[in-house]
Formats: sequence, C-alpha cells, structure tokens
Amino acid sequence: MEKNSLESTPVKIALWEIDLDPGRFCMSFDFRLEQLKASIEEFGVLNPPYLMEDSESHYTVVAGYRRLLAAKELGWSDIVCQVLPHGYPPFKAFLLNLYDNLLQRKMNAIEKAMVLQRLTRFVEHEQIITQFMPMLDIPANRQTLKLFLGLEGLEEPIRHSISAERLSLRVAGPMMSLDTKDRLKINELFMAFKWSFNQQWEAIQWIMEIASREGRSIEEVINEREVTEILHSNRMSNPQKLKTIVKVLKTRRFPSLMKAESEFIKGVSALPLPERVKIIPPPSFEGINYRLEIVFTKGKELKEKLADLYSLSGLERVTDFWKTSNGNVH
Amino acid sequence: MKQFTIRRILIERGAESDSLAKVIPKRLPDIPKELVDSHDLALPEGTEEMDKESLRIIHHKGEFLKPCPGTKRYICCGYQILNIGINCPMDCSYCFLQSYINQPSLRVYTNLPEKLDEIGEYIDSFPGRIFRIGTGEFTDSLALNYLTGWTDYLLPVFSHRKNCILELKTKTSSVQSLLKSIHRERIVVAWSLNSPRVVTGEERKTASLRERILAAHDCQKAGFVLAFHFDPLFYYPRWDEDLEEPVRLLEKYIDPESIIWISLGSFRYMPALKWAIKRRFPKTKIFDGEFVTGLDRKLRYFKPIRIEMYSKLAERLKKWHEDLGIYLCMESGDVWKQSFGWSPKTSINLSRYLDNRVRKLMVG
Ligand code: SF4
Repeated sequence: MEKNSLESTPVKIALWEIDLDPGRFCMSFDFRLEQLKASIEEFGVLNPPYLMEDSESHYTVVAGYRRLLAAKELGWSDIVCQVLPHGYPPFKAFLLNLYDNLLQRKMNAIEKAMVLQRLTRFVEHEQIITQFMPMLDIPANRQTLKLFLGLEGLEEPIRHSISAERLSLRVAGPMMSLDTKDRLKINELFMAFKWSFNQQWEAIQWIMEIASREGRSIEEVINEREVTEILHSNRMSNPQKLKTIVKVLKTRRFPSLMKAESEFIKGVSALPLPERVKIIPPPSFEGINYRLEIVFTKGKELKEKLADLYSLSGLERVTDFWKTSNGNVH
Repeated sequence: MKQFTIRRILIERGAESDSLAKVIPKRLPDIPKELVDSHDLALPEGTEEMDKESLRIIHHKGEFLKPCPGTKRYICCGYQILNIGINCPMDCSYCFLQSYINQPSLRVYTNLPEKLDEIGEYIDSFPGRIFRIGTGEFTDSLALNYLTGWTDYLLPVFSHRKNCILELKTKTSSVQSLLKSIHRERIVVAWSLNSPRVVTGEERKTASLRERILAAHDCQKAGFVLAFHFDPLFYYPRWDEDLEEPVRLLEKYIDPESIIWISLGSFRYMPALKWAIKRRFPKTKIFDGEFVTGLDRKLRYFKPIRIEMYSKLAERLKKWHEDLGIYLCMESGDVWKQSFGWSPKTSINLSRYLDNRVRKLMVG
C-alpha cells in the first residue's frame, strides 16, 4: 500500500449529524461503556474519533464508535472529531480503524468476524486469508474464513454467547446450517448451564443426529418431556441437571451402545468382586482386550484378592455380559 | 458413454511435454486451456471447493505403485494402488477424498504411460508374489477414461503378466473401451454396489444400479472376470430389504462362477470427514447411525451393528452362490468370526486367501 500521511481536520460536530448505527467501518460488538464514560467525564475524549463526511453534512464513523456512543450517553451535544478529507479511500479509512482497534484492545470473535466481513468489500478472500486472518490471530484458511463470515448472520443472542466465550465457535459452524428457531433453542440450552466446549460439541452433534434420524426438528428434540423435566426440576442442582441431560441425549443418540454399557455394568455388579477390584471393558467394546484393576496395599491382600477372583464363578463370562443383551438390540 | 462437465483444463508447468498432456486437450477442443504453476490453486469465485469441473493435468513426481496403507489394527487385504490421478467427476456424499485431498480439481497424472515399463519391471522382479493392483482408490477407474484413455495403455501392460491382476473399480457403466480392447487376461472389472436408496440419495452422477449390473453383464460376456464391493454399507431401517435389489440384479444378470471376490465394508470415516461432508451435504443422513471410535481412530458402526450387516448380507449372497470369495474390508478377527463363522486372523492370511482366488479364477 502507498504511504500517505493522514491529513484530517479537527472539527466540532453536533452528535445528531453523526450516524451512530453500526456502519461499514464498525468493528465493535458487546461492549460496556461504563469505564469509558467515567474516563471521558474526568478527562474528556483524549483521541478524537475519525469521521468521513457523506453528503449534506452527514457523517459516518470511521474510528471511535464507542467514544461517540459514550459521549451521547453522557448527554453531550457535540464533540471534536477528525474529519477525513473528501475522496479519502474507504479501504484506507477501514484500515485506519482496524489498526487503531488492534493497538488498543483485544477483539472478541464477533468483532473479528465484523472485520473479515467488511474486508470482503475491499479485497479478495485469498488476501484476507493470507494477510488479515493472521493479524487477527485466526487460523488462516478458507474454512475458518467461511465460518467467521457466517457469524454476523447469526441472531443477536447467539452472537452475545459467542462474544462472551460461552458458546464455542466450533459449535457455531453447525448452527449456521440450522433454522433460526432451532439454533436459538440450542443456544438457550447451552446458556442454561455451564457446558464445557467439548460437551457443547458432542451435544450439538447428538441433537442434530437424533433430529435427523427421527425426522423431527431440533426444537422438538430439546422440548421433549425428558429434557424439559430436567431443565425445570427443583430437586437437581445445575451441574446435576447438565450431567443428566448429557446422559439422556447420549442414550437417545447411541441406544445400542448405551444398552450394552449398562448391561455390562449390571453383569459386573452382580459379581461379588473383591473390594477395590475393577473390570474395565475396551472403549465402546471395539477392541477385544479387557483390563482388570486391583488396588492393594500389601502383597498378602493381593494374594487373597487373586484367590477370590480365581474361584469366582461367572467371571469366565465377563466378556459376554454386554453381548448377551445385544443379540436383540436391533 | 457418460461424459462429465469439464469447464477448464489446467496444464501444470512441467506436464506439457507428457504424451497424455497432448492428447487430453485434443479430446476437449472447445474447453479453455491454461498453463499454470503447481502452487497456483486459486479457484474462480463461486467454484465449489472440490472443483470437480476443472481437469488438471499433472506431471506426478511421486511413486505410482504403492501398497495400500491399510492399518495394523484391522485385517487388511494387501492391495497395491496404482495412482493414476486423484478426485473424481462423480460426487458421493460419503467420499473420503473430501477431507483427504487438500488441493482442488480433477487431477490426472500424464506421465503414467512413460512410467509403465518401470512398474512392469518391478512386478517382474517378484515372480513368486501376486500383485493385486487397483486404480480405483483415489479416483474412479473408468469415469475419466474417455479423456485419458487409461484402459488403452494399462490393459496391455498388466494383462500379459502372470503374477498380477489389475482391478478397475467403478460406479459408471462406461465399459465401451474395455469391450473394444483385445486384452482380457488378468483384468478384473469391479463395481461398487449399494442399496437403491444409497445409490440415488448419496452417489451423485453415478450410474444407476441397473446400469452398473448391465455393464458388468456385458463385460462378463466379453470374457472379463468380475468383482463387486458392497462398501460402504449403511445401517438404517430396512437396510437389508433394500439390499435385496442389487442381489436380485446380480442373480438375474451375472454368472457367479467368474466372480473373483465380493468385499463387504461398512461406512467408516476419519473425524474430519464428517464436517467436510456436512459442509457440502448438510442434509445427508449418513451419520444417523451409531458410530464409535475404532482402533484406527476412524468412526465405525458399533460392532454388533456391523456384524449384523455383514452376516445377513453374506448369508444372502451365499444363497445365490457358495463360492464368491466374500471378504471384509478392514475389520477385526472377532468381527470376521462372528459374521462369517471363520476368520483369516491376520492380514497375511487374508492376502493368501485373495491370492488363491486369483490363482483359481485367472487361468494361465
Ligand atoms: S465414485 Fe468414488 S472417488 Fe468418485 S466421488 Fe464416489 S466415492 Fe469418491
């Protein structure tokens, strides 16, 4: 890009002349003005906002959107701004704001998405990927760009969940393929408790796949009595509710596997195993090797436990516990 | 002969002088051609990410013949892959290439004809071994044959070698060039088969089941040995009733005596593939089943489900004919045993079993 010193003019402008809707240069979302307002009240606006004059003394904000909102909330009627000269290239104005923001603060994911979205008006995707995504600390590839470009299209409550880092960005991808009602429902479910990102990731897949398999909407799956009863239960704490909902969804998503697991547990618990002895099946019963765990503190104790195990009837069938039930899972 | 839409031909620098690079563009005289660098992968705006409508002509610098990577955790068949190109003009929702390839466009390797002598010498240097070679791993063996003429130069090389077979695996019915060829020996023509629901719902731009079986019938009549692959199988309500259709068509049109093998495999995928597929086919139902993480990190149906599919389908096929060389693709010994009542136990034994099928079916 050619080097150019910035020639702008400081002008006192009435706030009503400035368009304060998030415009084509805006990259601010989900912010609190309290601190900024306190600072402005005490010291004034240290860095004047930058504006661009549209037709008929109407101004678009280039940089300083939050400062202008704070001034408005403080009841100011005018403010000193730098006005960019006529014909100032919009792309340069955008970069001015971007660099200003990058220097001053950490952007949330939605704000980064706003940057990328606005960049598409000026440059090719390839340039966004190679030049701007690394600058924003985003993995530089097409898929991630596509994901970020879709974020602004999500409903406001979902964008708030993302910017507050309560909803995983990974989950936002599949959400984009859903109807508004469905994704708002998922967001509501995920905001009801403290789901880890991994739990969100598993749960959204299960919910989508249950819906697909049963030919129902996601809203219907979440509104099922089994789930809503847990959500509204007065007897359970939030962590208990979360754990139970995860189990309910998993059981619906993997009926045969969960049945096999519970049959295995039932079979093993019916065996009078010595204390602190566990039998661990292969994950999802995919492998063929089972593990025996014996916790002991003395060699004598170990020998006794081994002797008990040796004479334990039914132990030879332990690898079949889940299979016997499974002959007719389907 | 089905022809696919090709909108541009990209000739990578370094491939211009390969024999095939001169022939292919002549077969598409009206399509724009461009000389490009190998790293120049930009797609015209709006082009779908797999870019299945651009044909990229490439001078391949890597090996052409390679053992199928398989996995130590499951029993594999010891196949050799002849790498003729990558990506395919058809569009199956479940295709693993969607997450496997990181470069777009249909890519064909134009220096393959120049390499064939070398490959032949390599095969000859192991006279005691049987090479089961296939070209259908990273592309369809026949879909682009009308442009590349693969069969014209591959058949003569492999059909006169006693210690190999060449398996051409396809979902097309494009067998005209095979039928015109004078070479039959040591060539296996193979079709992927599935239920009509999977074929119509998930295998876009492929030939219908009936077209595939009729093409197989023509090849068999012309003296080719056949193979079939029921892979990937999907589990959904009444899957078994749906699979009656391909079996019925086989019974009607195919003589089971000259089938060298039939493989069965269930849908399995690396985790990344799921999202590549969901991006391109958001409404697909192929992930509805109960998938668990396998020993090779791929997701597969919960074991009892796989066993149910394999045992039922194998039983049904055996009603048609006892000796079809049925085998499982990438499964464990216990799944073999519970599905078929026997297991080769190791990959070496499965290789032997399939080599014996070659000896039995390929006389001379
Ligand atoms: S025919 Fe084979 S290579 Fe082609 S899209 Fe289908 S699965 Fe992929």
